[in-house]
Amino acid sequence: MSSRRSRQSSSGASRITDDQIVQLISKLQQLLPGTRIQRSNKASASKVLQETCNYVRSLHREVDDLSDRLSELLSTIDADSPEASIIRSLIM
Amino acid sequence: MHTSSKQLKKEFIKKWVKGLEICCSSNKKMDVMERKKKIKLCADIALASAKNATTSWSNALIYNAKKDDENAILVDNLLGPESRFNSQRTAHQMITFHKRVRSKRILKKSCTVSQRMKKASPPASNLATCIAKRLVKKRTQVLKKLVPGGEAMDEYSLIKEALDYILSLRVQVDVMRSLANATEVLD
Repeated sequence: MSSRRSRQSSSGASRITDDQIVQLISKLQQLLPGTRIQRSNKASASKVLQETCNYVRSLHREVDDLSDRLSELLSTIDADSPEASIIRSLIM
Repeated sequence: MHTSSKQLKKEFIKKWVKGLEICCSSNKKMDVMERKKKIKLCADIALASAKNATTSWSNALIYNAKKDDENAILVDNLLGPESRFNSQRTAHQMITFHKRVRSKRILKKSCTVSQRMKKASPPASNLATCIAKRLVKKRTQVLKKLVPGGEAMDEYSLIKEALDYILSLRVQVDVMRSLANATEVLD
């Protein structure tokens, strides 16, 4: 992850130091579930990235599953029934 | 961080409910799959638009959603008239940005290849760093595909966007789960 040469980032941005990247990685690490109370050294950057990818994928899957659930639940509720108005008031 | 996620939650709920009303209000019978797709689309667009064009991933998400012909009109309705102009501009920006990034990447690649040829073969002690670097590269590629608009970002922005994206996804999941649980109780 640490490249010795300075990064040519897009126009306007300053040079990105290695430290900044390490800081970002540690922030990312704190977000991930299964807290590891480890030091963030360069070697675990790839692990953090892998965990991040897995986490994002699992979040995507959850959204998908929840959409499924909601779709089934909402379809069993009649649009004009009292339950529907309760739901409507719940989410307003 | 906490106040901003509360704020995001509020915005998301508002926009999602509004969106659901727009696309699910037609009382014709939708089958479960179609309804699910609409719910998901509304949720994604609501999440992205709640960011108010402050992040790249949200702009990319909206841009990608519009590319799909059958959704384009619906997305426009969901976003509302004010943001129509903004998204057009963003789309154009994204295209030019893609081109710029691609040409930069080609230039960078040609430079690094020639540099590598000039260097002598690295000693064994650097092997670990080599492997680590390659792993990181691999994971970064994967992350690029997961974060909307990630392909056009450099590593630094990618990680920053991923941070924000994860926080926003969590908000989305929380809200959807609460609604699903509440609805279940009523059945």
